[in-house]
Amino acid sequence: MKRFKTIVRLLALLIAGLFFHYVLPQHDVVRVTSTEIIRTDFSAYNRIFYAQADSGASEQPTRDLRLINTQKQKTFLLGFLPRESEGVMVYRNEDTGWIWPPYFKFDSSDLQAEAANLARGDEWAVVTHYGWRIRWASIYPNAVGVRTVPGPDVRIIPWFNIFFFIFLMAAVLFIRAMWRQFRERSVDPLLDAAGEQYDEVQAGVAERKGRLSRWLGTWRAKDKR
Amino acid sequence: MGFIKLVVFGFIGLTVIYFSVSLYSRSVRKERLEDTFDEEHPDGGAPGERDAFVTDGMQAYNNSIRPKLIGLVYVVPTVVIAAIVYTINAN
Repeated sequence: MKRFKTIVRLLALLIAGLFFHYVLPQHDVVRVTSTEIIRTDFSAYNRIFYAQADSGASEQPTRDLRLINTQKQKTFLLGFLPRESEGVMVYRNEDTGWIWPPYFKFDSSDLQAEAANLARGDEWAVVTHYGWRIRWASIYPNAVGVRTVPGPDVRIIPWFNIFFFIFLMAAVLFIRAMWRQFRERSVDPLLDAAGEQYDEVQAGVAERKGRLSRWLGTWRAKDKR
Repeated sequence: MGFIKLVVFGFIGLTVIYFSVSLYSRSVRKERLEDTFDEEHPDGGAPGERDAFVTDGMQAYNNSIRPKLIGLVYVVPTVVIAAIVYTINAN
């Protein structure tokens, strides 16, 4: 049972970790090489990795998708340690709209224009994005912002993520405190009262049973001695 | 359409949070009042005195600014969303 609990907890932790790794913003140091628009036919299993159709437009199984092609500085450890090699990375560039994930991005055309501008030169830039590149399912991370930097060895501090996790921790502690207060003040007194009532009922049943068995006892044969 | 969905469901969610937080805050305040009274009156005090003390304390709490501050539950997320919309989409 204890091992089962540990496994469930680890699994929940893993799912939460993957979820946050997908949704929270990350930063890549890149050189934008080109931009393009391809037509995509979504399938049932990669559909959820793309945004909704633009608001006002109808949802079709196929639509155009903006892509940003880059040459990316590779990193270790979620981008914290730079590596001495480069690789290609392709980002999609879609509006997230008002709902999910809550980036409230509506400027994908502007972002595409910025990326196209960067693609003319050989400047280094930081792309803020969320999501994963999964090649076998044709899934791309979504770029939400791009800014130029002087060189490939910039230090990026993920302020948003720092504050987000501080807030998350505070929220979890607060909910725990609320739950404890609720139990202490509302559930436990009820349970105590219910427990007392239950005890009383049990005592009553025992007494009645005692009476019944005593009465039955009068019918039983006495010790034959 | 998405905006309306966000406003409606956001409002519902924030209302749930608002009521849980205000219930929690009230409960904590009440517990503290009871504890203070018990500390000051180890013998239990006169009959009805404890209830009167707690009622007075809760009245004072209701008139103070603290329960109004819980209204920030609605304000802060709105401001944060506005800030995100601006920083993401500003050129």
